Amino acid sequence: MSGLVFDSIEKKFGDFTAVHETSLTIPNGKFVCLLGPSGCGKTTLLRMIAGLEDPTHGRILLEGNDVTRIPTHQRDFGMVFQNLALFPHLTVGENIAYPLRIRGGSKADCFKAVKRLLELVQLPDMADRPVAKLSGGQRQRVAIARALALEPKLFLLDEPLSALDAKLRESMQIELKQLQQKLGITTIVVTHDQREAMTMADLVVVMSQGKVHQVAPPVEIYRKPKDAFVADFIGMTNLITGRVNGADQIAVAGGVLLADDVPASGDVTISVRPENIRLAKDDGANSAGILTGTVSYIRDLGASIEFYLDVSGQQITAITTPSDRPDVTAGDRVSVSFPREACVVLGDA
Amino acid sequence: MDDMKKGISRRSVLAGIAGGSAVAMAGITGFPGILKAQEKSLKIGAYGGYFKDSFDKHIFPEFTKATGIAVESIAQPTGEAWLVQLEQAARAGQAPADVSMISQVSMLRGSAAGIWAKLDPAKMPNVANVIPAFINKYDDGSVCGVGAVTWYITLVSNSDVIGEAPTSWAELWKPEREGQLGLLALVTNSFLLDVTAKTYFGGQEILDTEEGILKVMDKLAELKDNVQLWYRDEAQFEQALKSGEIPMGQYYHDVAGLAAADGYPVRSTFPKEGGINDSGSWAVSKASEKLDLAHVFIDFMSQPEIQALLSRKVGTSPTIPRAKTGLTDAEFASVSSEIEPIIPRYDMYQQRADWLSQKWTELIVG
Amino acid sequence: MKLKPQKFADYATIAFPAGMLTVFFVIPFGIMIAVSFFQRVQGAFYEPAFVFENYARFLTGFFGGILGFSIGLAALVAVVSVVLAFPFTYILTRMSRQAQVVWLVFLLSVLSLSEVLIGFGWSTLLSRTAGITNLLVSLGIMDKPMSLSPGFGAVMTGMVYQTFPYTVLVLYPALSRLDPSLVEAARTLGSGPVRSFANVVVPALRNSIVSTLIMVFVFALGCYLLPQLLGKPSHWTLSVLITDQAIYQSNMPFAAAMAVFLVLVSLSLVAISLLYGKKEHAA
Repeated sequence: MSGLVFDSIEKKFGDFTAVHETSLTIPNGKFVCLLGPSGCGKTTLLRMIAGLEDPTHGRILLEGNDVTRIPTHQRDFGMVFQNLALFPHLTVGENIAYPLRIRGGSKADCFKAVKRLLELVQLPDMADRPVAKLSGGQRQRVAIARALALEPKLFLLDEPLSALDAKLRESMQIELKQLQQKLGITTIVVTHDQREAMTMADLVVVMSQGKVHQVAPPVEIYRKPKDAFVADFIGMTNLITGRVNGADQIAVAGGVLLADDVPASGDVTISVRPENIRLAKDDGANSAGILTGTVSYIRDLGASIEFYLDVSGQQITAITTPSDRPDVTAGDRVSVSFPREACVVLGDA
Repeated sequence: MDDMKKGISRRSVLAGIAGGSAVAMAGITGFPGILKAQEKSLKIGAYGGYFKDSFDKHIFPEFTKATGIAVESIAQPTGEAWLVQLEQAARAGQAPADVSMISQVSMLRGSAAGIWAKLDPAKMPNVANVIPAFINKYDDGSVCGVGAVTWYITLVSNSDVIGEAPTSWAELWKPEREGQLGLLALVTNSFLLDVTAKTYFGGQEILDTEEGILKVMDKLAELKDNVQLWYRDEAQFEQALKSGEIPMGQYYHDVAGLAAADGYPVRSTFPKEGGINDSGSWAVSKASEKLDLAHVFIDFMSQPEIQALLSRKVGTSPTIPRAKTGLTDAEFASVSSEIEPIIPRYDMYQQRADWLSQKWTELIVG
Repeated sequence: MKLKPQKFADYATIAFPAGMLTVFFVIPFGIMIAVSFFQRVQGAFYEPAFVFENYARFLTGFFGGILGFSIGLAALVAVVSVVLAFPFTYILTRMSRQAQVVWLVFLLSVLSLSEVLIGFGWSTLLSRTAGITNLLVSLGIMDKPMSLSPGFGAVMTGMVYQTFPYTVLVLYPALSRLDPSLVEAARTLGSGPVRSFANVVVPALRNSIVSTLIMVFVFALGCYLLPQLLGKPSHWTLSVLITDQAIYQSNMPFAAAMAVFLVLVSLSLVAISLLYGKKEHAA
């Protein structure tokens, strides 16, 4: 089997289960983000790939080979640590050349490799600087260059951008993605920032409380969240509970909504993204997919406008662009339409 | 364990240093002026450890019973450390102890510095008992110290390892003793110069000149390979002697006798050249304000029956003629010998102190 | 209003250690320097004077040799202690909290042993009659028990035993502050555990190691009982001779001169190594 495979991996620290039994395949050449709130087990999963933690049970396979018990220093995976872990006693060049020197690389080879890698991360002529004299962004790049020095089969990054300010972070995200595309290397990034994941990833693995909730491309994660946790964690959403009332109908407070993939019976939760909800002045008409509510508050952010609605006692948020802004004010009765394709029926978390 | 304690602390340097600092503290906080107002009492220094314990148990209570003078006994170190403290305290007008037991070299040194109070023999009738050699005098003839006790340093051996008791100090030079000896490490407490002079140079007269002393040292250098341990601390050697680790050497006759009595294979022999006879004297610090009580104490200690008591209970040899003590032959043999002793050349140790210590250190360290 | 008491508090916090330093170090050291120039009166004590003869006497080949040996011994003890204690402390800091507490309490209790106890303990352990060689004989490793004390090995063993817990406690804070991800990074880059220890942990803590070496060196230089108890006379250090002069010969001026010289030599060694360390750091 090609790529990186987790086969029933589980990790316990004493009584605490950091990662519940997980099976997962990461195809070659993909940029994967492990996304979740802190303490969800994503870093533990990454450290198990690197060999820094031993799985309690299960196997990790790379290109069909079991690597579970191979010591870290024989795995040849590049890793960037959250605090970067640059060696303070070495210069930039010596840091980058470290893995090459360990393997007995000649001075000339190391020099060439350092030059090439520094160009790759856009820090030419920095080789002789002490690490302490670098800015945050520069340190970031040095850590990346060092991790890539061995041309590793896997490139692992643990919250690599968390120490940078917001603006620098955004540009580094794009740069990192471009670098990965250029090198075609399988890359796994741990992050708690969903924007970061959406920006960079080919595939997002959403985790919480040691469990994987969904593995899918970012857009699919957004549009078709599998459960309430994913829907809520990724972007803003409205979660509406109801009861199946027919092949494509769900009875909710104040009316009926239409949706696809509705189960045969029972209580369900529907996720509706705020930007998909349409508002109009209440004209008294009432049909499936349209409910009636009251505007409680309007928040105009310039680029978008948020409407906070009370629909039969349930709080609903809708977002429109300025050009689509309906002519309503706080206190107005409005009709709220939920397009069929916008209503996603969620599975159990 | 009990013997260990005795061994460690009797004339021990280590306990001495600790004791010395305690005394220094007492000197600071003792407020002699306040003590004066209280009933008659006397601060008496004795070598910390076994000596002091024995005095506290057997001697001082007798003194208090006989005279009504309370005794505050103070653990003092041997060697010069105590002398230095007495001297420093005297400069400040204080006396850490009124009466102290002082070694002979220290007595001479203290006399040179004039730190001893002059004693009046007329106030101490019993001092007439004391053998004149054990009376210390200033150059002007006035008495500054009275012999308290004497002891012997003899040739000791482990009877399990050394089958036959050695009979001469020359035994130390025999090639088969290589790595088997324990000797005292300092020129001023081993008295090995006197031993060598008496054994190989026909007497201590050769020690009159530097030239002669160097000859003696050359002879002494010949036994260096035989010495496994140069000890400053008695317990170090005692332990090794008892176990047979270091089966021969020089040691204190009385402590060796105690070890033998406890069943250890240790024997003490008076060599034919004689055991080393060293002694301690009672001396009073010039800074003491209780010279009268001190006279009473020294007089008391010079009584024949008290000297006998010391021999029986503390294990020391008397400073008065044996005939006056009433000790039995067995009792006397356990603390002394009829063989003429080697009496150290204290004058040499005092007058050539720095030169001797330098040469000695070069001899054993080099 | 707020600044004033703050300033006062600042002064107070400095004043206390400064006062302690003056009372317990500067004044005694000043007295010692003064005494080192006093006139020795042979057969008695000493007199205030200003003479150089105490230093002149000391500046001979004999004392030079002993000074050299003392410095060499202290340096060797420092190196051996740090070489042993550094990996030990590294492993210690990676143990569970509970195990660390147990070890630290144990080390502190060793530290509380006096030099006398350590000296007697080791002289027994290294003796022919009751020592560890008997164990080796019963295991068939040696033919017959032998005496390992007194000797240079015994002095080294005793002194390293004494300085080891001290060394561990000095290294402990630096090593427990060491970022564990440095070692993990080295491992992901291809260094095995031993190699990453050697080429990341050690160099990253170079400054702590140098300062620990200096502290143990100074500590060992002042050691005067163990060389006496466990060594032959040729292993006696300058500190032993100082003790002899001060306590047995009551030659305070000469003892003070030697002590002043010893302090100056060790201070200059410390200064040299600090300067060297700084240069290296700047390079």
